[in-house]
Amino acid sequence: MTPAHHPGEAWLMDYALGNLDQPFEAVLRAHVGVCASCRDTIAFAERLGGEIVHALPGRPVAFDARAICDHHEQETPRPQAVSRAHGIAVTDDIERCVETYLDSSLDALPWRGVGQGLRLCRLGEQAGARTWLLRGKPGTVLPHHTHAGSELTLVLKGAYFCGDRIYRAGDIEDADESTAHQPVITRDGECICLAVTEGRLRFRDLLPRLVQPLLGI
Amino acid sequence: MLSHRHRPPSPVPDADTRDDRVVDLAADSAARERARETAWLERVRDHGDRDAYERLFAAFTPRLTAWIGAQGLDGASAEAVVQDVMITAWTRARLFDAAKASARTWMYTLARNRMIDHHRAGERRARAHDGYATLLPAEDEAVDTPEQGLTRARIAALLEQLPAEQRQVLLLVYVEGRSHREIAQELELPIGTVKSRARLAFNRLRKLLEDPAP
Repeated sequence: MTPAHHPGEAWLMDYALGNLDQPFEAVLRAHVGVCASCRDTIAFAERLGGEIVHALPGRPVAFDARAICDHHEQETPRPQAVSRAHGIAVTDDIERCVETYLDSSLDALPWRGVGQGLRLCRLGEQAGARTWLLRGKPGTVLPHHTHAGSELTLVLKGAYFCGDRIYRAGDIEDADESTAHQPVITRDGECICLAVTEGRLRFRDLLPRLVQPLLGI
Repeated sequence: MLSHRHRPPSPVPDADTRDDRVVDLAADSAARERARETAWLERVRDHGDRDAYERLFAAFTPRLTAWIGAQGLDGASAEAVVQDVMITAWTRARLFDAAKASARTWMYTLARNRMIDHHRAGERRARAHDGYATLLPAEDEAVDTPEQGLTRARIAALLEQLPAEQRQVLLLVYVEGRSHREIAQELELPIGTVKSRARLAFNRLRKLLEDPAP
């Protein structure tokens, strides 16, 4: 699997530094597991961190090297990655990867039909970000909307169009307040996405606005 | 670039490291300095070499302490974290693989991992405005005094080439450990603007720094 659409570098830097709240961390981890290009970017983000720290003016410390060598034995640890680029399960099956994370098959989740060939499943809310799954039949047209904050959408299965871009399994759509979009699921098959969204969506049309409070989106 | 810049004072001053420093200064080569650090760590890993460990310790401990302090830990906590990191570098050196990362990157990831544990343990980071003020060059002013700001090496010169607003975002991310969303809130900028500055700065440095060597 070679994803074509990636989270922006700002997300990958945050990921490399461990700066993200759990919902965004989880969706990025799932993408990074299938994306060699983002793993390279994270490896460089770590390298850049090492270079920048190396350029800081040092502060003296009150402990010394000899005491550490005297008081601690060298170990033979089980192999373990210290890099966040190498330290994640690399898999080509994004659907399975998310099922493992949720500890449930996608079909067994409590989906809720919202009409127009679309089903939603809310997975939770943490630190102002909602995680949800979205599942649509082939050809489904989602309501046109903008965002009040960041949104990362990971395609687990199938594909959808947004304008002239097509997002397929493994791809991430990286959206924020400046993004207005209307995803359209391709006619080839159903599409399942995992999305993490900050703030309420802002729908252009009246009908989705009316049902929005009921759906909690 | 190294030749006219001071190194921070070493906590383990001895004749050998002083000699090394002279060689460092003459070499004027970031790649060779990196290779030397990696060779020290390999000697620690393969032979439990205490001299090599002392050199590694002298090269990294003061900077990691500064970095962790900039992320909002007080002096005693920062020192405790760095001590943990340096113990790990000694006891678990066998995890180091030079094919995957240089010693510099590896030491950084150890410290980063320790900081992630620290934050996950629920110790909220205090906001380090002091750290920011002392480490970040004001506006577009280039930093060239060894006592202040980013003092050394190629990376400092490269950072100075970036537009001030890009450099600011990069240093807030890397020095203070802020997420891009936190930066957008603090600087009262749209998230898209912060992301775009981060992207431009990151990709510029990546282009300049990335070479076949790890």
